[in-house]
Amino acid sequence: MTVDRELTMSRAIVEAIGDEMRADDEVFYMGEDVADYGGIFDSTQGLLEEFGYDRIMDVPISETAYLGAAVGAAQQGMRPIAELMFVDFFGVAMDQIYNQMAKNTYMSGGSVSVPMTLTTAVGGTYSDAAQHSQTLYGTFAHLPGMKVVVPSTAYDAKGLMHNAIRDDDPVVYMYHKRLMGLGWLPAPEGPKTPVPEEDYTIPFGRADVKREGADVTVVTLGLHVHRALDAAASLAEEGIDCEVIDLRTLVPLDRETVVDSVRKTGRLVVVDEDYRSFGLTGEIVSTVADEALDALEAVERVAIPDVPIPYARELETEVVPEAADIETAVRTVQ
Amino acid sequence: MSGNDRVPVVAEGAWTDDVDEEEGVVVNWFANVGRHVAAGESLCEIQVEKVSVDLTAPVDGELVEIVRDEDEAFTVGDTLAWLQPEE
Repeated sequence: MTVDRELTMSRAIVEAIGDEMRADDEVFYMGEDVADYGGIFDSTQGLLEEFGYDRIMDVPISETAYLGAAVGAAQQGMRPIAELMFVDFFGVAMDQIYNQMAKNTYMSGGSVSVPMTLTTAVGGTYSDAAQHSQTLYGTFAHLPGMKVVVPSTAYDAKGLMHNAIRDDDPVVYMYHKRLMGLGWLPAPEGPKTPVPEEDYTIPFGRADVKREGADVTVVTLGLHVHRALDAAASLAEEGIDCEVIDLRTLVPLDRETVVDSVRKTGRLVVVDEDYRSFGLTGEIVSTVADEALDALEAVERVAIPDVPIPYARELETEVVPEAADIETAVRTVQ
Repeated sequence: MSGNDRVPVVAEGAWTDDVDEEEGVVVNWFANVGRHVAAGESLCEIQVEKVSVDLTAPVDGELVEIVRDEDEAFTVGDTLAWLQPEE
């Protein structure tokens, strides 16, 4: 019997990037502290040694300059991967992201495509305060022209990264810092999984049912997949059987899997690590209301209240949903 | 004795002389007991003085025992696991 090799999410991501760089000379990586440092969240660990400074490029601290350079390189036929160190920094380069990267194919009447991957670290839970702890899932998913990917396990992260680099359109690949498996930022149980050594792709727009259940549908993504699974394990002891759906990509969004699940359970809890208003939770709830209102008996949203994420550990813990908050919401819809 | 004695996976390497700290912590295991590994394959990641280092398999063999699990501390030079070499 073969016992699988297990990888952390960061190593699974790096393995996919390395495979793609070996297969295609047009693939390169640029970002702040991605070369000698290996990425502050280990997103490029070990790649410099194999590929050198021409293909693993440290850039000056101007997101506008290097994300714009990535857009241009992509339009000329290369396949850049550009890293925005924290998604919170998108503001200084948003024109390059949402007006250029996301719209140039449309604006050029299809005469150029922009096959780039924008990688970025998201999420809180480690006292990094309001400008370094956001996920901003809803912001990126709201604006047309970008695919948006949020892996929750090493297995998914590798397959989704292969698919992102091979995609001919811009992909925003958002990895949660707490899932990467870093020594100084320990991951929960769950994101480290068996990972095949060969390459494979996971198509966009297919949610994954991480746990099947009959009583309540819990829809979430990223770190909160694991918190929802923890909640589901506790609730199972009370006789409540949760189905946990990991969306995996926000654009395209697998509405069908969510709606089918609610038709089965009749009860919906949506869990998000983004702000509550104008975001993912509202989108999922309205999708189910549009398509299966007759099946929907009860609904709850669990998300960050519309406040900046606090630095103080106790206050951050208060606003970022925990497994106990998910359990409470599930009991409420029972 | 046969050549089949178990081989220790020891928390030491080229980095050993570069650290002042004697204590480290196991961060990640990449193999479970029962996995057949190749010499040079990363078995686990350890952290000493806030720096992460991989320990690799010293020989081809089966991982038969993990002595220090994730989050457990060790002293530089400790045995963290045992391999049963392949014939």
